[in-house]
Amino acid sequence: MATLHPEDRIEITRSRIPNAEIAAQVRTDADGAVAAFDGCVRNHSHGRTTHYLEYEAYEAMALAKMQEIAAYLHANYPIRRVAMVHRLGRLAIGETSVFIAVSSAHRSAAFDACRYAIDTLKKTVPIWKKEFFADGAVWADGELPPVPVDTPAAKLASN
Amino acid sequence: MTVKVLYFGRLKELSGASEELIELRDGSVIEDLFSRCSADRPELRKFRASLVAARNREFAAWNTPLSAGDEVGFLPPVSGG
Repeated sequence: MATLHPEDRIEITRSRIPNAEIAAQVRTDADGAVAAFDGCVRNHSHGRTTHYLEYEAYEAMALAKMQEIAAYLHANYPIRRVAMVHRLGRLAIGETSVFIAVSSAHRSAAFDACRYAIDTLKKTVPIWKKEFFADGAVWADGELPPVPVDTPAAKLASN
Repeated sequence: MTVKVLYFGRLKELSGASEELIELRDGSVIEDLFSRCSADRPELRKFRASLVAARNREFAAWNTPLSAGDEVGFLPPVSGG
């Protein structure tokens, strides 16, 4: 399995995410491009006014899944470094909940890898958000991660 | 054998716990564990179709056999980002 670059920065934090610092951190003199994704808290959801969000995670597993995504990027795109930081706890409107930055010699790999990273994070990393409105709160609609199907081997082993 | 169960998000609210230790017969699979956990929590059972399970921090099929000391998470649809 592919591994991380020692300079990759994969984190879960309860503090404000230092976007500019992270974007600067992935860049080296050999890079011609840094693509970044700034996921931020929106002030509305399904036509209702959002007051704030709360994020929680299965932290150990979430971090492992984020590291897997970064390793996948290194194995499949000609990129240099990856930073992927997700914040937990209560977030105000406009604050960054997730920040991803990818550096590469050329822009197309950086864009593609960054897009793959956020799309895959949203589908497979065990993090949940609760949306708070003036008149109540709901857990956001999410995606069910793909899971290994019930295999004959597993059935056999369970007998 | 004893396994550790973790609940997250909506499930944590429904179950009234973030984690618990469950005693199971040897040879039990994840589905058996969920049946035990939801036996006296009907509101939890309703969510069975919209959950995935993780065993020791990896997504796992419902018929995955369990071992003593395993950590099993019941995860609602994820919504990070």
